[in-house]
Amino acid sequence: MKKLLLSATLFPLLLSAETASYTSYSSSFNQSAFVPDIALIVDGSYTHRSVSDEDMGDYALVGSELSAYNEFNENSGFNLNYAELSLHSDVDQLFTLDGVFHFNTEGVEIEEAYFTTTALPWYFQLKGGKFKSSFGRLNKQHQHVWDFADAPLVYNGFLTAEGLNHVGLQLQWLAPTPWYMMIGGELMQSGEEGSFVNESFTDTSTKQTVSASNEPALYIAYLKNSFDISDATILFGFSAAHGTTKTADESNNTVHGINGNTTIYGADLLVKNYFNSYSYISWQSEILYRDADIDNTLTKNADDYQQSGAYSQLVYAYNQNWRAGFRFDTMFQDTTAVDSHKMRNRYTVMADYSPSEFSRIRAQYAHNSAFTNTTTGQQKDIDTFILEINLAIGAHGAHNF
Amino acid sequence: MKKLTLILLTLQSMLIADINVAVSYPFIAALTKTVGGDNVEITTLAKGNWDPHFVVARPSLIRQVSRADLLIINGAGLEIGWMPPLIRQSHNRHIQPGTKGFLDLSQFVNLMNKPVAVSRANGDIHPDGNPHYSTDPYIMPTLADAIASRLALLDPDNATNYRSNANTFKEGWEKNLIRWEKAMAEVKGKKLIQYHELFNYFLKRYSLVSIGNIEPLPGINPSSRHTLELIKLMKAEKVTLILQDVYHSPKTAKYIAEKSGAKEVLMPHDVDAVHEADTLAHLYDTMVKRVTQP
Repeated sequence: MKKLLLSATLFPLLLSAETASYTSYSSSFNQSAFVPDIALIVDGSYTHRSVSDEDMGDYALVGSELSAYNEFNENSGFNLNYAELSLHSDVDQLFTLDGVFHFNTEGVEIEEAYFTTTALPWYFQLKGGKFKSSFGRLNKQHQHVWDFADAPLVYNGFLTAEGLNHVGLQLQWLAPTPWYMMIGGELMQSGEEGSFVNESFTDTSTKQTVSASNEPALYIAYLKNSFDISDATILFGFSAAHGTTKTADESNNTVHGINGNTTIYGADLLVKNYFNSYSYISWQSEILYRDADIDNTLTKNADDYQQSGAYSQLVYAYNQNWRAGFRFDTMFQDTTAVDSHKMRNRYTVMADYSPSEFSRIRAQYAHNSAFTNTTTGQQKDIDTFILEINLAIGAHGAHNF
Repeated sequence: MKKLTLILLTLQSMLIADINVAVSYPFIAALTKTVGGDNVEITTLAKGNWDPHFVVARPSLIRQVSRADLLIINGAGLEIGWMPPLIRQSHNRHIQPGTKGFLDLSQFVNLMNKPVAVSRANGDIHPDGNPHYSTDPYIMPTLADAIASRLALLDPDNATNYRSNANTFKEGWEKNLIRWEKAMAEVKGKKLIQYHELFNYFLKRYSLVSIGNIEPLPGINPSSRHTLELIKLMKAEKVTLILQDVYHSPKTAKYIAEKSGAKEVLMPHDVDAVHEADTLAHLYDTMVKRVTQP
């Protein structure tokens, strides 16, 4: 038996020795050096809310009728928010390609898949595919870059759970000014939810059919400026998004809907001062204003409304390991509400600890008074505690400022 | 007609601006200035007294990279956390990696400490080897030649200029090297510790022996257990010198100095890291002085 085993192991050895002189095919066409940068980022949390998950369904943020606001930390207890797989590489001398895939317990989503040009003249850059719009400040950033575990209320209310993230084209130009000035424009297919929902429907009472736009129906433009004063960087931007809003409202066994367009204007400001290589203080604020110019297909009346929201956050990084932050959220204008200028606020505090550049543990507490009962209209205070862990492995590219 | 040609030529020479060079660190700026002279306009992206690994990719730096004709980097992964976003957002096709407007100086250096096994369980390591080669003054002549060749490629009209500038630098540098060699011979074999493996090239060049680092793993802040072990080891090995870099907190080094009796010195790693290190030669002068007369 032993002999047999020995000869069995020896046989391939002998064979390979004999054939070694001409069996070089395996490395002749080896492409492993061309493997793109691959990274996996996993984010999970333990969440505790003062309102049960069932009851949460009764409450909504004013103005969030078109959005699903809870993408992260949705359930009480443990949440696997996502496993984000990202791939990046040069395609050739003209393009780079990025793919970002969100795996969660329900399936896989193409978060982003886009090319970027590297060889356009005159400071132009073209991007195409599905990508996060550079509208505003937070929209382009992935969740793991955010200073808090969730998006500001106004993002959840006006944009989709993933923000403005559609299929389209983007052209950006860097102005040859002494300071940093970037102008960008995007043309996108509008989506399935949010302010720019674009869906065909037939009103059951009026029999009127509203067809969705077949063409790209979302236009985005922005201007960003930045300069330094000593070790402080100031970055401010203005953004606008304009697009079709068409969607059915199915209730009481009837279908009617809204048909029109929506414009969102945004302004953002970031002041970030570095005390040394690791310690900084940053103050970031954004204000968004939504102007909906829509008709109700049932009543034939104009259902126009205007809403505004803002957030302001202060984050202090003590060193490479420890950070703490405070965020104030508010929805302060809503013409659909009885008290149209009532401020509906949320207060959030967070502290996080990063053992290395590749891991971070964060504790966050929020007191939210911005939600109301969807049937009674009664305002409800909701307290949320989140313990979040974020881990990254592999080759993940450095982040933009 | 002749007059017109003359005017056109003058206009042309006025229009052709200097070569805009963006460099990552001050030592590269110093070398480029020496080689390029008045033909180059230099922008330094990082500050000499901040951590070279953690430069903030501010939008103002994007603008500086976007107007560059040539981008010169240290390489070997030292800029991995901040240079790619600058290049990506610069919208500048002339300085993309692989083009003649991109120069990675690490390709001219035999990197030391290349890890056999790469895992982030061992800290934030550089898979290609230790990128802090700028602490070895013997590498500078090679780099001056590399920069001269690249400037000559981009600006053939001034090629001889760049080459002769590099040669002048190299001749002058020889005398410096002899001076430092002589001073450093006195401390040959001296045992020390450093915060991060920042001075390995300098230590190897002058046969100094590092027996440990204040950080337990590359990029990981000091822990009390590691510090106590280090003090024990230092006492056993009779270590007398602690090299503290300028950008980490000197708190732990001061504590170790107190407990072990070793002397703690603030060691510059780049031009402008400390006040005295205002030129490339003064950088090594300061390093040599602080090690030989702590």
